[in-house]
Amino acid sequence: MGDFNIFHHMPWSSTYSIYFFVIGISAALFFFSTLSWFRQEFEPLRKSAFYVSFGLMVLGGLLLIGDLSKPLRFLNMLNPAYLNFASPLAWGGLNLLLFGAVSVAYFWMMRKNDETNSRRLAIIGALLALGLPVYTGFDLTVHQNRPVWNTPLMPILFVAMSLVSGAAVASFLAPGKPEKLLVMLRRFMLWSAGAVGVMLVSLLGTTAYGGSGQELTFMFMTSGTLGTIFIGVGILLGTAAPIALLLAPIGKQQQGIMIAAVLILVGGMALRYSILVGGQIVQTYF
Amino acid sequence: MSELRTSSIETRGKAGLKRYAMVIDLRRCIGCDACMVACKAEFDVPLGVFRTWVPYKVVGTYPNVRKHFMPRLCNHCDDAPCVRSCPVGATYKVEDGGFILQHYDRCIGCKACMASCPYNARFMLPKHRTYTDITSVVDKCTFCHHRVTQGLAPACVVTCIGRARIFGDINDPNSEVSKLVSTLPTQVLRPEEGTKPHVFYIGLDRNNSEFGRAVYNPLDVLEEDRRAFNKNHEG
Repeated sequence: MGDFNIFHHMPWSSTYSIYFFVIGISAALFFFSTLSWFRQEFEPLRKSAFYVSFGLMVLGGLLLIGDLSKPLRFLNMLNPAYLNFASPLAWGGLNLLLFGAVSVAYFWMMRKNDETNSRRLAIIGALLALGLPVYTGFDLTVHQNRPVWNTPLMPILFVAMSLVSGAAVASFLAPGKPEKLLVMLRRFMLWSAGAVGVMLVSLLGTTAYGGSGQELTFMFMTSGTLGTIFIGVGILLGTAAPIALLLAPIGKQQQGIMIAAVLILVGGMALRYSILVGGQIVQTYF
Repeated sequence: MSELRTSSIETRGKAGLKRYAMVIDLRRCIGCDACMVACKAEFDVPLGVFRTWVPYKVVGTYPNVRKHFMPRLCNHCDDAPCVRSCPVGATYKVEDGGFILQHYDRCIGCKACMASCPYNARFMLPKHRTYTDITSVVDKCTFCHHRVTQGLAPACVVTCIGRARIFGDINDPNSEVSKLVSTLPTQVLRPEEGTKPHVFYIGLDRNNSEFGRAVYNPLDVLEEDRRAFNKNHEG
């Protein structure tokens, strides 16, 4: 429509992008804590990564509940008579709860120094952690009417963004910054950021060559304020620059890795925000 | 119409079931907004949100211009994405009739249904209301389920002075909506989304109903209107 007398709002506010950000980091940090049982380089991260993962999971849960217009009714998600398994949100809610329960059990077993059970719980927790970015991606993908969101790339993109942001946070967590660990985290950052970059190029391509809604969304996401956030901060500053930095000689040193990690975190937040908002702008005019 | 059915939830053409639909004849709509007022009165719809609304577009080149009205409401889709997306089953479809309705006491306010609706038909009720205690949950048009089940037509249909809105059971070949849909060229909004909407338009020009370049570069005055509208209807 060209003229309006009624306007519409975006249903999902930026709170969701903060949730996507913290829950993605939480999932990746749990994964690194799990890796510590199998790769010696990650051992210094075992506890610190888990603690931060747990804190971010609690924060993410609170953000999610706080964004509901009826916060206490989040308990409805636990009622088997109500749950609609056709909705990715139902699966996501259960995944988050199970992840929380396994995290508590994992903490308990680590405190008891029960290595066997800690290992088992770490593996279960890592699988549930993988489910978190996957479901957040599906949450967006299933909306067939939303440009940018409605692509099979979304769950994989969220897994890659989770890994790259998690590796960036992990690089600040290791006490004493052992060189072997930093080498591994640098690789994680480099490859995940590369994967994110490739997927973003594909996303931009399919959006630019899509229908009228997609084309308009492409225009919004590549110009003006949102363009600055998405292209400027998300892609150039938060994805391309860290890759270049990590490939340069300085990127193999602690200082370079830390700078890249900061850029990745800023970019990760910008990308999640612009993808969330980008998929909703055009429809507010319909 | 059974060849159109792709999901088990769809009831159009299903024997023994009613499937209500609305036909909106745009040639008859004069943009009086009486339907909006009737709907507001029927449901105590709060300020700033609408179960039905009538956007317009000025088409043509001066002096040959006219206002093109396009009444909007929930399309009571046969394969409704809002039913699929609700995590707690608060949105559901009444099989006999095809109404898409809402369990207000179940809704958690996650707004997944709002995100999934291609028609912007859903809105969040405010925290405080004067006469009704249903607050802070998602609401939408019900096709006046309470009236239709009593043998009455929806409030907007009854009040329409141009008789632009026609309502009935499209599964009944003798109903007026069936005859209109089968004999006249009709269009639905955003058919490409696969939602099988059940609001049919006569005289709709898709050039006017779909996203246009104007969205990207709206007139300044429209942006001022939009800002004022949002400011007036916050919360």
